[in-house]
Amino acid sequence: MLVTRNAADLCALLVNELYGQLPSVCFSPASPPVAALLARGRSNVRDLALHTSLNPKQVRHGLALVIQHNLVFYQTDHETATTTYEANPQASYHLVRVGKILDVIDRKYGTMAKNLVNDLLMLGHVEVAELVRYHRLKHSPKKAKMNGEQNHDHDHNAEFEDEDENGLEYGDPSDPFDDDSHYVNGNGIAHETTEDVTPIQANEVYDTLAQLIAAGVIESVVATMFQSPQDLKASVEQECMKEFPNGVRGAKVTTEFDTMVKSQIKAIGVERATMKRKLQESALYEPSNIKRRKLANGGMSNGFAGDSGGSILRDEPNTVVRLNFDKCLVELRNQKLTEHVEDFVGETTAQVFAALLASLCKKVYRCQHDQHTIMTEEEEETYFTGVRVTSEEIFDHLSPGVDVSTGIGSASEEDIDIRFAEKIRKYPPQIQGSHLQGTLDEGDEVLGSDDEDYDHSGEHLKGTYVNGHNGYHNSAAQNGTKLGGDHSGEGHSSRAEQLRQMRQHLLILAEAKQQFVRHCGQNEWTVDFGPLIQQLRYVELDTMIEDNFGRQGLRLTRILREKGKLDDKTLPAMALMRKPDVHVKMAEMEMAGFLEVQEVPRDNNRAANRTMFFWFFDEARTLKRVLDNAYKSMVRCLERLEVERYNKRNVLLTADRKDVQGKEEEKLRGDIYNEYLEFIEVEKKLLSQVSRLDDLVSVFQDF
Amino acid sequence: MDEQTALLKTQLYAACEEACSGDPDRLFTQEDLTALDVIPPKDIKKLLQLIQILTNERLFAPVHLHSGLAWRLRPEAEAAKYKQLTSHDQVLVYEIIDAAGAEGAWQQDIKRRLNVQDNALRKALKELEAKRLVAQFTTVENISKKMWIKANIKPSSRATGGPWYTDQFLDEAFIEALQSVVMSFIKNRGSYLSKGERSARSVSPVLPKKGVINGAASEAAVKSKKRTADAISKDEALVMPAAKHRKTIRLPLPAGYIEYPTTEEITAGIQAAEVAKGQPLKQEHVQELIDVLVWDNRVEEIRMGNRIGYRAVRIAKQNPSLYSKPGDDDFWEPRSNGLTSVPCGKCPVFDLCEEGGPVWAGGCEYFDQWLA
Ligand code: SF4
Repeated sequence: MLVTRNAADLCALLVNELYGQLPSVCFSPASPPVAALLARGRSNVRDLALHTSLNPKQVRHGLALVIQHNLVFYQTDHETATTTYEANPQASYHLVRVGKILDVIDRKYGTMAKNLVNDLLMLGHVEVAELVRYHRLKHSPKKAKMNGEQNHDHDHNAEFEDEDENGLEYGDPSDPFDDDSHYVNGNGIAHETTEDVTPIQANEVYDTLAQLIAAGVIESVVATMFQSPQDLKASVEQECMKEFPNGVRGAKVTTEFDTMVKSQIKAIGVERATMKRKLQESALYEPSNIKRRKLANGGMSNGFAGDSGGSILRDEPNTVVRLNFDKCLVELRNQKLTEHVEDFVGETTAQVFAALLASLCKKVYRCQHDQHTIMTEEEEETYFTGVRVTSEEIFDHLSPGVDVSTGIGSASEEDIDIRFAEKIRKYPPQIQGSHLQGTLDEGDEVLGSDDEDYDHSGEHLKGTYVNGHNGYHNSAAQNGTKLGGDHSGEGHSSRAEQLRQMRQHLLILAEAKQQFVRHCGQNEWTVDFGPLIQQLRYVELDTMIEDNFGRQGLRLTRILREKGKLDDKTLPAMALMRKPDVHVKMAEMEMAGFLEVQEVPRDNNRAANRTMFFWFFDEARTLKRVLDNAYKSMVRCLERLEVERYNKRNVLLTADRKDVQGKEEEKLRGDIYNEYLEFIEVEKKLLSQVSRLDDLVSVFQDF
Repeated sequence: MDEQTALLKTQLYAACEEACSGDPDRLFTQEDLTALDVIPPKDIKKLLQLIQILTNERLFAPVHLHSGLAWRLRPEAEAAKYKQLTSHDQVLVYEIIDAAGAEGAWQQDIKRRLNVQDNALRKALKELEAKRLVAQFTTVENISKKMWIKANIKPSSRATGGPWYTDQFLDEAFIEALQSVVMSFIKNRGSYLSKGERSARSVSPVLPKKGVINGAASEAAVKSKKRTADAISKDEALVMPAAKHRKTIRLPLPAGYIEYPTTEEITAGIQAAEVAKGQPLKQEHVQELIDVLVWDNRVEEIRMGNRIGYRAVRIAKQNPSLYSKPGDDDFWEPRSNGLTSVPCGKCPVFDLCEEGGPVWAGGCEYFDQWLA
């Protein structure tokens, strides 16, 4: 993560926003240490106390809190017995995404899973047994909760209880599960009368938890996770050094040493994944099963029979778990990509794409990796050889409500060349700097796209379809591509027919300029995330440029991106614009940092009229700048929120009272209630902007 | 000049005329002239003599190439014009303008090359103009330059700017009109117009519905001060413009479609529509229009085997109607992102803004307006 000043400010604000103390307490011990660590780098407790105006006891308290959430790494030097702390900016930044993560989890794994993840966010890392206990306590119907409240002993439970409740009671307004799930509303005031709801069964919780661990959303915690990856590598190297008393010198010894370090790091990776492996091996977590259960019961959280991962977990109640943000990011990326497909192609196609991603990403646990990322063999394999799925697997992940016969126009059969549509591309496209245009096409030329290299299964399917369905055999226009949005459906078509229609969407995705999907083998599909995300970066950049400098500004930037440096004569001619207009636009964009200009004097006296101006697009610099602008804008939104809160503090204090909470409308005086509503509006607006800005940051940096 | 020489001269000129009938700008080197079979081979002396005579009579115009000298033929009528020239300066100036052809010669350039006084040059030009041999014109590349051209030819299209220029000014209205014709042609041929009886039904069950805002009662209770984790995203619904209900939209065509219009077809379409005034637009000009639309992110290339076709981008979000002026309402849902919607994204004082600085978030009027 690129830690600029703005990014550091943002992280500190986020920690404060989520893990700061109740507003009535005037300072929070969580965020000062994080801020100080971000600003000063690795420090020990004494240094921190010096720079935060907290006393060492408070610093320790704050550190304990943030370590609980893995916002800080620590490293203890056994010789000097001192412990140093280091910020984990990525983890702090992740906090901005928790809302989105909960949404995604809810949609994909159900409400109970969402609540579990939410609990984990509140608790930090925690033992499985404790998590389950906490979950049952908190999300069970009111009565059960009352009883349980007494023996509530966890330190921060009390702290977060209040804030937590409100968020959960009302769930996500657009959440389809809200209405038919007991657990969300069961806790809420509106449903207080429904006291006869059955309390949550521990079995269910264990099972859901096991499912999440198998999927990688939740991971088991081992000691090495509290060290920063760099420190970890260093200490592994130190350990290995002991095996080489004579030092590491010479090619042979160096290789030996490297192999040793590598295998140790692999071992750490395996250790981290033990529980996941165990649970994955119990076949229950095959997605097709999940889907079947979902269909059968209408909800994920309703129990299911069988010897399950839940019982495996139960046998190891002391396993410590935490949320795995890396995997969550993969889910968020899938969602973002799906939104893009919706934007570029259409809704139905986006659904098909979502199904593809869901089945493809079963084995994808992180978006990016660097030399410090610790992976198991299996993971490495998926990274370096890529994963692919078949049409059938995709079909199994397709949400049952999707009507795959919609969303594509119809064309007569002679206008379709199946060899182009079904073209197989064995190798991913190359990213060539900023020259995206054309690379895709050039790419497949290099790789020898002889006409035979296409997938015949489409033809085959079509064949069966034409012959098999005697309903349509009469009209040529109707049979070839009977996907017309206007044809009214014939109710339930056969699986083969639906599969064929779904393939059409995949083919469109493969044909798209953005190459959302690569048709990588007979009936096999994959996604080249790297190049795809790279293109999305340009999409977002272009959106900003068009919004700020209009269509002509966009035109000029894209010309430069494609052609490289251009002087001020060629550019207007290509853009079909008047020269003075071009100059004005270019100056504007240069000021805003979207373009660079280079002056080349034609002679020695450097007079302005004897100088040539070359404009060009510096991709790396622009991206960096935009990223930092996004951080800064987020900081401004959060700062503004602080100010708004401060201005309305009286109203908010009243609304925060125990007797008012949840019944604001009846308890608050009319004018105060209105002010309160106003504030809620403002807060919504600001936080949603923060969230949209995070979308940008994700695309530019994390996906 | 003896009779034989005169005869040979005429023969040589005639032979050259014939040789370059297909390409009036053809250049002749010494070898080319020998190869014409008029002069006995090996009689270099005679050849040089004839060349000298023809050059003097202005029927040959010498051209300096890297490889040596070559000559271009000058029609007799053109050569005759030199007879009207009365002073040495006139001849020199006219030679330069003559050689510049349709591109024209810049007055400043003529002066530099001849190294003459400004007065003398102006006098010569004035005399030539009076004889109707040269004329002044302006080029679109630099309207302040004084350019000269032979009076009987038209400036090149580079100088006039081709079809895009009317009286040296870029005809933006014309370009815009043509662009929208091209755009509608591409839209029409490369998409499927759905009247949308069914589209309402296909609203995605999995994607979060945009623009759903819950009733006020629960909203009020949603949060007091510090928010829970999931609060941050709930609000996203608010920013998204409520999805307008679109009955009619355009849908993408199936993969492998091979009838996306190509530049040729678009050119033919424009010619058939008779929108372009005067001479018909050439394919290269239509290509320029299409390129601009590609850069504008309105259309994209699509490969159909060896041919390149064009189709509209984000087809489902394109304004379904065929005729819209470029710029307004190209898309019924324009793209946006965090930095386009937050006030800071367009803030003129963004770089100055910080807590304790001259502007800061708490007292920022852009936020005031935006939140109001
Ligand atoms: S907070 Fe206001 S002044 Fe500061 S950058 Fe944002 S819009 Fe501009």
